[in-house]
Amino acid sequence: MKRWQAVFITAGVGLVFLVFFVYPAVSVLSEAFRGSDGAFTMAYVVEVFRNPVYVEGLVNALLLGGVSTLATLMLALPLALMTHRYDFMGRKLLSALILVPLVLPPFVGAIGLTHVLSVTGSLNGLLIDMGLMDPANRVDWLANGKFWGIVVMNALHLYPILYMNIVAALANMDPAMEQAAENLGASPARRLFRITLPLAMPGIFAGSSIVFIWAFTELGVPLVFNYTRVAPVQVFQGIRDLGQNPSPYALVAVVLLISATVFAVTKFFFGRNTSGAQPRPKGRDSEIRLTGVKSLGAAMVFAGVFLVASIPHAGVVVLALAGDWYDSVLPHVWTLDHFKEALGDPLVVPSIENSLIYASIATLVATVLGLAIAWVVVRGNIRGRGFLDAMVMLPLAVPGLVLAFGYLALSREGKPFHFLLTMAGGSPILLLIAAYAIRRLPYVVRAAVAGLQQSNPAMEEAARSLGAGPLRTLRRISLPLIGANVAAGSILAFAFSMLEVSDSLVLAQQAQDYPITKAIYTLLSTLGNGHELAAALGVWAMVFLGVAIVGATRLGGKKGGLFKM
Amino acid sequence: MFKRLFPILLLLGLIVAAPLVLRRDTDVAESDQGDDRLVIITPHNDSIRTEFGEAFAAWWKGQTGRTVFIDWRAPGGGGDIKRVLDASFGAAKALGKEGTEFDVFFGGGDKDFIEQAAKDRLVPLEVFEKHPEWFGDDKLPAVFSGQEYYDKDKRWVGVCVSQFGIVYNRDAIGWLKVNPPRKWRDLCHPAYFGRVALADPTMSSSVNQAFEMMIQEQMQAVIRLKGDTPAAREEGWRNGMLVILGMGANARYFTDSSSKVPYDVALGDAAAGTCIDFYGRTTEDAVRHGRGESRVHWISPPGGTSVSVDPIAVFRGAPNGKVAQAFVTFCLSDQGQSLWNLKPGTPEGPRGRALRRLPVRKDLYTPERLANFTDPDALPFERAGEFVYQPDLTAPAFNALRIIIRAMCIDPQDELKAAWKWAVVDRGGPADVVFDLSEVGYSKVMNEWVPLTQKKDVLETARKTTELSRSFRDQYRRIAEGKGARP
Repeated sequence: MKRWQAVFITAGVGLVFLVFFVYPAVSVLSEAFRGSDGAFTMAYVVEVFRNPVYVEGLVNALLLGGVSTLATLMLALPLALMTHRYDFMGRKLLSALILVPLVLPPFVGAIGLTHVLSVTGSLNGLLIDMGLMDPANRVDWLANGKFWGIVVMNALHLYPILYMNIVAALANMDPAMEQAAENLGASPARRLFRITLPLAMPGIFAGSSIVFIWAFTELGVPLVFNYTRVAPVQVFQGIRDLGQNPSPYALVAVVLLISATVFAVTKFFFGRNTSGAQPRPKGRDSEIRLTGVKSLGAAMVFAGVFLVASIPHAGVVVLALAGDWYDSVLPHVWTLDHFKEALGDPLVVPSIENSLIYASIATLVATVLGLAIAWVVVRGNIRGRGFLDAMVMLPLAVPGLVLAFGYLALSREGKPFHFLLTMAGGSPILLLIAAYAIRRLPYVVRAAVAGLQQSNPAMEEAARSLGAGPLRTLRRISLPLIGANVAAGSILAFAFSMLEVSDSLVLAQQAQDYPITKAIYTLLSTLGNGHELAAALGVWAMVFLGVAIVGATRLGGKKGGLFKM
Repeated sequence: MFKRLFPILLLLGLIVAAPLVLRRDTDVAESDQGDDRLVIITPHNDSIRTEFGEAFAAWWKGQTGRTVFIDWRAPGGGGDIKRVLDASFGAAKALGKEGTEFDVFFGGGDKDFIEQAAKDRLVPLEVFEKHPEWFGDDKLPAVFSGQEYYDKDKRWVGVCVSQFGIVYNRDAIGWLKVNPPRKWRDLCHPAYFGRVALADPTMSSSVNQAFEMMIQEQMQAVIRLKGDTPAAREEGWRNGMLVILGMGANARYFTDSSSKVPYDVALGDAAAGTCIDFYGRTTEDAVRHGRGESRVHWISPPGGTSVSVDPIAVFRGAPNGKVAQAFVTFCLSDQGQSLWNLKPGTPEGPRGRALRRLPVRKDLYTPERLANFTDPDALPFERAGEFVYQPDLTAPAFNALRIIIRAMCIDPQDELKAAWKWAVVDRGGPADVVFDLSEVGYSKVMNEWVPLTQKKDVLETARKTTELSRSFRDQYRRIAEGKGARP
């Protein structure tokens, strides 16, 4: 890449990032650095560290982030290696299904899980039916689970992110390297640790960094377990405090600093480029076909993980079909009325249309921006690209409410973002697309960076030397080489845009602009059966996104698998 | 490729078609299609928004022959609305404009309206001039049970009433082997350890008001016995703080979600919790099987809760001021008032579902109307006589109370639970002996915390809150280690 091109792209994406992320975030967080006289102060940051409850919350969040990432890796890595190495019965379907647990609708996912783990929930019901629990002495899983319960839930929810990234990395790897090691007598374990893992490290790092920041800043799961002494919950509760104390914003600033530092440090150790030492893939297949019991066993491992990870989803589905689900493994009365009422609500059809528009355009924007940033980070040679790389991870760590409040305040009449409302005739569509795209940018950047790190720049250089322009090189060489990674990042960006909560709740104020998540939230407040109605619409969202993801993974790729490019 | 693509597209098409087929019609004009428009910001739930939207649209058409599009803005609870209003009025002020896009503020605690009125964002309501016959002690009173029902300058007025109370699960109470709760202090019983669901007073002024009532109940009891002396106030306040401490120690959480408490109680995760009457009654009915007894029951603690209003107001500089004033008038009319509690399907009643709220106008509680009410036995004005809110006792400490509960119960909740379990649950120690609440005594709060909150120095308040929280945390740790409250 020529220097002027790198500078031009960096300036472009940097400007977009500054305007649509840094500016709104800083406009909100600056409250934490402004004293009552309006002068700059660090007093609120000091206050965060003086408050033992906040300090403990930060430590707990870091522990949750670290342990959840390890647990997720322990789940995702074996699955990815199995699907990479072996062909077994139902592999195509199972390796697509395994991604579905990613699609857990907001609000109702927590309610579904609650119904399973409640004192009168399915788990206790099952144990009582089996005679393993005294009905008068029930285990309160939600009260006793706390830390480890959250780790397990995080791992079961987040493993598809890591799985997708590792599978894409393994697909990019040249099988000749492993075969050479095997021929030279390396044992399977030695091959794994000396060849496979180091070569797949860009993908492992890409997925792990997202999982870490996600788990470090996760709000929903700790709230289900009522685990409040953790930084994201403290921020959420503090921001909504009527006293409007700016300390939570100072806590956000600290969380951002920690996220960026952890990312930069781990990138230094694990996120190095591997392409220099790697010849380009020759496409030789080292896949082993399993038969009989081994094939069945592998299929059962995948099916087992899918089933366990789908327990909260199953809870949502059953709740949507339940009359009154209480003190039994499954409801005694089943009904379709909640579906009829929820899907018939006048809010629903426009909200589906809105979500599809917002999420699709946001994914497109995030993909273009993400590719550009990844290009600069991996192929560029200008100074500060590492800083840009760390910065683009921050939208993951910033609480959704902070960015949403920033957009809200800046889009009022007379404020700099108001033109986005007037351009769209008063609709928040441009605000929401910008917010969704910025918040989902890290998924695309990480995936594309991993892909570029694994693809050999010599291929692009050859194309350029044969007279191809930059765009043609990108279209004909680079994109096909990293297509699997970009697809993985884009699928994640689309799914999470469809399920976005904070911006949707705060920015979509008029009913005709509601995305599907705000429609779910609105149904939730219905008196009497609000939870069941919200669950019914949540099931619709899950099914739609599940089919879309499974469809995309089965369609893409030359061998019928998205990540086998 | 197409062969593989077709079944997926077909499946996606079928999934998208389902809501299209099931879609219901509505009478409210679509966006930009109404002759008139009204922008209402509200924390009310979707059921209330839908029913009031439909009913007002029909009423307005009958009055004027014009259609109206109601643009409901529901950003969340009271705190979220405050933030949206501050951002909007801040931007309008910078432009030299009087108002924003909002016309009406509908629902929430009266404290939220008092704050907006103090910021001079509300205008006098025309309903007081046009329908003076709706106001009076036997209709819509200015004050009831010590609570203001409309603003002295007539910038806001209550449209429905509600009470905070206790919701409990009869099964779970049975498992804990305790009697059903009747009073707030019953929730301090050690058998409830970890099984009480509490609403968070730091995020809702209505919830904070409920905690204030708990203290008032105790203060009034002591003052009735010993007379209104500084010592009696101190003792009553301390008793109230002990009730809050005990409930906080038994709490499994403090939540900002108004529907979470009754839901968790219905599931049995929480044996009992605090919630507003209509959520409690709705949950009670939702889990009732046939005509049998429901496993969930809501009560209003006798002598421990006041009847407060959910107000309505029109914003200064409202773009649709005339329609906004008409909406207020509709809400206070016989029809608008009845909508709050009539059974669905009755004349002038809600179309879809019962709203379970109670009208503010006393004169509408007639036998004929009550026959069609969803909650004919609720009778808030008859049952609230036992409690009269006395603002002079606690009102100045309203904002300080929220901070104190946070520092005493919410921030150090893990340590509080450990101390409570060690001293009270396991060893039966009396809470008033075990815990030292001198730091949040009545005179200390009135002389130190109230002036601090009035000064609005957020940094100083944050520092003091941290210190108080740290002090309670240390005390709870000492108690849990068997070393006593004081070092």
